[in-house]
Amino acid sequence: MQTTASHSPSLAAARQAAPARTAGSVRHYGRYLYLAVNIAILIFLLAPIAIVVVFALNPTPFIQFPPVGVSLRWFEKFFASRDFMHALGFSLEVAVLTTIAATILGASAALALARGNLPGARLIVATMLSPLMLPAILTGLALFQTYVLLDVGRPTWGLVAGHTLVTLPYVVRTTLAVLHNFDTRLEEAAQNLGASPLRTFFEVTLPLIKPGVLAGAIFAFIVSFDQFPVSLFLVSPGNETLPVTLFNYLKFDLDGTIGAASVVSIVLAFVVVIGLDRTVGLRSYVKL
Amino acid sequence: MSSAATTRPNGLALFILPSALLFALFFFLPIGLMALMSVLTGNPVVAPKVAFTTRHYARMIDDPFYLEVIWTTIRIGLVTTLVALAIGYPLAHWMARIKSRTGHALLLMAVLAPMLTGIVVRTFAWMTLLSDKGVVNQTLMSLGVIGQPLKLMYTETGIVVGLVHIYVPFMVLTLTGVIGRIDERLEQAAENLGASPLRAFLEVTLPLSLPGILAGSLLVFALAISAYVTPILLGGFQIMTLPILIYQQISANFNVGFAAALGIVLLMLSLGLVVAYNRALGLVSGQRELQ
Amino acid sequence: MMKALGSSRLSRRRFLTASASLGIGTIAAPYVARADDPTLRITGWGGKWGEIMKAEIGPAFESEFKCKLQIDSAFPYLPKLQASSRSAPIYDVLHTNSNEQWAAAEMGLVEPKIDPKLVPNLADVYPYAVSDKIVGVSIFTSAIGLGLRTDKGYGSITSWKELWDAKYNGVRGGYVIPVNSLGQAFLMMCGTLFGKGQTDLDAAYTALEKLKPIKIVDFTGAMEKMLLSGEVGLCVIHDSGIYRYDGQNQPTDFVSPSEGVLSLEQVLTITPGSKMKELANAYVNYMLRPEVQKRLAETVWYSPANKKVKLDAKYDAKLLTTPEKVSKLIQVDWKWYNERKDEIDQRVNRIFRA
Repeated sequence: MQTTASHSPSLAAARQAAPARTAGSVRHYGRYLYLAVNIAILIFLLAPIAIVVVFALNPTPFIQFPPVGVSLRWFEKFFASRDFMHALGFSLEVAVLTTIAATILGASAALALARGNLPGARLIVATMLSPLMLPAILTGLALFQTYVLLDVGRPTWGLVAGHTLVTLPYVVRTTLAVLHNFDTRLEEAAQNLGASPLRTFFEVTLPLIKPGVLAGAIFAFIVSFDQFPVSLFLVSPGNETLPVTLFNYLKFDLDGTIGAASVVSIVLAFVVVIGLDRTVGLRSYVKL
Repeated sequence: MSSAATTRPNGLALFILPSALLFALFFFLPIGLMALMSVLTGNPVVAPKVAFTTRHYARMIDDPFYLEVIWTTIRIGLVTTLVALAIGYPLAHWMARIKSRTGHALLLMAVLAPMLTGIVVRTFAWMTLLSDKGVVNQTLMSLGVIGQPLKLMYTETGIVVGLVHIYVPFMVLTLTGVIGRIDERLEQAAENLGASPLRAFLEVTLPLSLPGILAGSLLVFALAISAYVTPILLGGFQIMTLPILIYQQISANFNVGFAAALGIVLLMLSLGLVVAYNRALGLVSGQRELQ
Repeated sequence: MMKALGSSRLSRRRFLTASASLGIGTIAAPYVARADDPTLRITGWGGKWGEIMKAEIGPAFESEFKCKLQIDSAFPYLPKLQASSRSAPIYDVLHTNSNEQWAAAEMGLVEPKIDPKLVPNLADVYPYAVSDKIVGVSIFTSAIGLGLRTDKGYGSITSWKELWDAKYNGVRGGYVIPVNSLGQAFLMMCGTLFGKGQTDLDAAYTALEKLKPIKIVDFTGAMEKMLLSGEVGLCVIHDSGIYRYDGQNQPTDFVSPSEGVLSLEQVLTITPGSKMKELANAYVNYMLRPEVQKRLAETVWYSPANKKVKLDAKYDAKLLTTPEKVSKLIQVDWKWYNERKDEIDQRVNRIFRA
C-alpha cells in the first residue's frame, strides 16, 4: 500500500514554519511511558514463571514463601518418576503429530476459505472456530462416547484427532489473517511475468503466508502440549499426557515436582520453538 | 478486494475437504451425540429405554441460579478480554515495531514462556502468588503494609488475573502480526502532516489494527468462557462458571444429559457472539470478511 | 474386527457400529491391545497409595496370578465407566469411595454384592465392611474428624461444634460438597449435630451457612497441604490425612470429636460386564489378605477391614483396629443421599458461592 505524501513546496514550507508541536521532550516522555508500560507487562507475564522456578528449587513440600533453600530434589523426583517421564515423552509425541495435522489441514482450509469462493464462507469460519467455544471437557466426553460407540477404545490416534480438532482453529485463524491482508497484486505480477499458477503458489504465495501458518503451527504445538480437558477423557492408563499426570498429581501432592515439570517443559518447548525458527525461519516475521 | 468476476467455487475450494472430514467425524458426530443426549432422559448407547425430554433445558430456566452462572461466565469472559486487550496491545505494538532481530526474538520468548509453562502449573503459580500464605501476602505482611492477608484468591478478580495471564500471549501474537503489517510509512505520513505520535497512533494505527483487535478479542473471549482449570484452582469452587458446573455434573452427579444441555447453551452463546463479531468486523473494515 | 453385540434391542447402535466399524474398525484393529497375559483393569488413587501399588502390591499380584494389572489413576472414573458399554466396561474392578459406589450400583454399573464363595477373605472382615450401607466390600476405612495445627494455641478440641467458633474465621477448612465424599458425610453430620439426624437437611443447610468464611477444596490432598502450610488451622479431614506425615515432625494433629467420627470407606466392586470375573474376584480377595492389608495400612495409615491384621504398635495405637473402635464409626446412608444429591448440590452451591 503506497501513499505518497504530497511534495508540494507549500507543505514543506508550512512544516518548517509551524512550531514543532510535539516538542522533543514530550516525545521522550511518551517514549519512556511506552517502554515503562511494556516492561511492567513483561514483569507481569514472567513473574509467575519466576515463582515456579523458585518453587521448583525450594525443598519444602508445600506452598511456602519465602523459600528456605535451594534443592534439586524435585527435579530428581521428576526425572526418576517413570510416570512423569513417559507422560513427557507422550505429550511431545502427541503435540508433534497434532501440529503436523493441524497445520496441513488448517492452512489448506484457510486457503479454501479465502480464495475458493466457497458459499457461506463466513459461517464455515465460525464453525471451524467453534471447538474453541465449547468447553473442552464436553468435547472430550463427547469424543470418548463416540469412540465407545465405534468400539475403538482409547487409541493414540483418537487423542491426536481430539487435539487436532481444538488446535485447528488457531492455524485457520492466523493463516486467514495473513491472507486477508495479502496483496494479490504480487501474485498477479508473478503471473504477468509468466509464472504458472502452481509456480506462483509455491514461490510467491506460500512464502508470504508462511508467518501466519507458522504462528498457527506454534499455537497448535503449545496448545496441544498443554491441552487438558480433552485429554482427560481420551488418555488411557500408561499413555497419559503431562497435564493430566500433573493435575492428578496435584490432588495428592502439592510440592515442587510440579515446578520441576514446568521448568523442564519450558526448556523443552523453547528448544522446539527455536528449532522451528532456525529451520523454517521465524525471522521471516518481518513486515510484508 | 473482491474480483468482480465469478463467485462460483474454484479449485482451491477443494482444500477444505480434509478439514471438513475431520470436523464431520470428530466434531459434528460427537457434538451431535451430545445435543441428542441433552434431550434424552438417558444415554442411548448404554441404556435401553430412553425418551425425549426437555427437562434438562427446563431446569436451567426454572432456577435463576443457572442464569447467574451463565452471566458470571460471560462477565468473567468480558473482563478478561478487555484487560488482556489493554495489556496485550502495547506489548504487541512493541514487538511488531522493534527493529533488532534479537530484541524481537527475546520478546517472543518472553511472550511464549507463560504459554509454555502449562496451564496447570501456571495456575498453580498464581495460587503460590495469591494465596494467604503466598508471595504477595507474605511480602506485604512482612513489610507491614497489611495486618491480615488480602483475599486475592477465591474471588473473580483472582480468576481474571489468572486468565489474563494465560491469554495475553494469544492476544499479543494475534495482534503483532496485524500491527506488523501496517505500513509504518502511513504513520510517518501522518506525523509529517503534523500529527503527534499519539494522534498518529489513534487515527492511523489503531483503526487499521481493528481486525486484529477483534480477532484477538474473540479468541480470548472464547477461551475465557470455556476455561476450567484456572477458575477452579483460583476461585476455590466458590465462583461457579459454566464449565465448572458442567464438570461437576459429569463427574459428581453423572447427569450427562444436563451437562450436555449446559454445553449446548454455552456453544450457542459463543456462536452467536462469533457471528456478531464477524458482522462488526465487516462493518468496521468496510469490506466483507473474506471475499 | 466386529465384536459381537450384547443385545439386539439397540438397533441404532448396531447400524452405526456396523457401518462405522467396517471402516474405522479395520484401521483400529492393530491398535487394540493384544496382551499375552490377561489384563485386569482397575482404578486406583495416586499419591502414596499409587506409589506402593505400582512398586510392590501390583507387581506381586501380577506375578502370582500371571496377569497384567492396568491401573487407571486419571480421575474421574465413574463418568468414563458410565459412558462405556455395559458389556465391555472399561474397568473390571472399581475402587472408589462408598458414595460413588452406591451411585454406580444404582446405575447398574457395578455388582452390589460380592460373592463370599469367590472371595473367601470376606469372612474375616469387620461387620461394617459388608454392612447394608456398603455395596461391594470395604477394604479399608478412615475416620473423618477434625484436623488442627498444634502450634497456634487452639487448646484441646473435643467437639465438632468448635469448628463454628469465630476464632477460626479465615483458617477454617472444608470441602466442595458436590464432588467430595468427606464434604457430603460432613453435611449429614451437621444434621445430626444441629438437628434430628443425618436426614435433617434443613438443619444442615442452616449450619453450613453459619460456617462461612471457609476455604473449600475438592480433594483431601489439597486440604493436607493447606494444613501443613498454615493456610488452614482447623479443618474437616480423615485421620489418614494427618497421620501419613508421621515422623516428619509436623505441627498437626487429628481429633476424634466426641459426637463421633464418620467412616470414609475404600470400596471395591466388580463390574457386571467384566470378562475377567475370576481374576477380579481374586484381586478383591488379594486386597483383603492380612499381609497386603498390613502393608497398605502402614503406608497410607488406613484402618484395615480384615480383623486378622496385626499392625505395628504405633499404627495400632492410632488406627481403628479393634471391634470396639470400629463399632464407633458412623456410616452414612449413601443411598438416601444420592437420591437427593441434585437438590442438595443446588442448595449447597448457592450457600458457598462467594
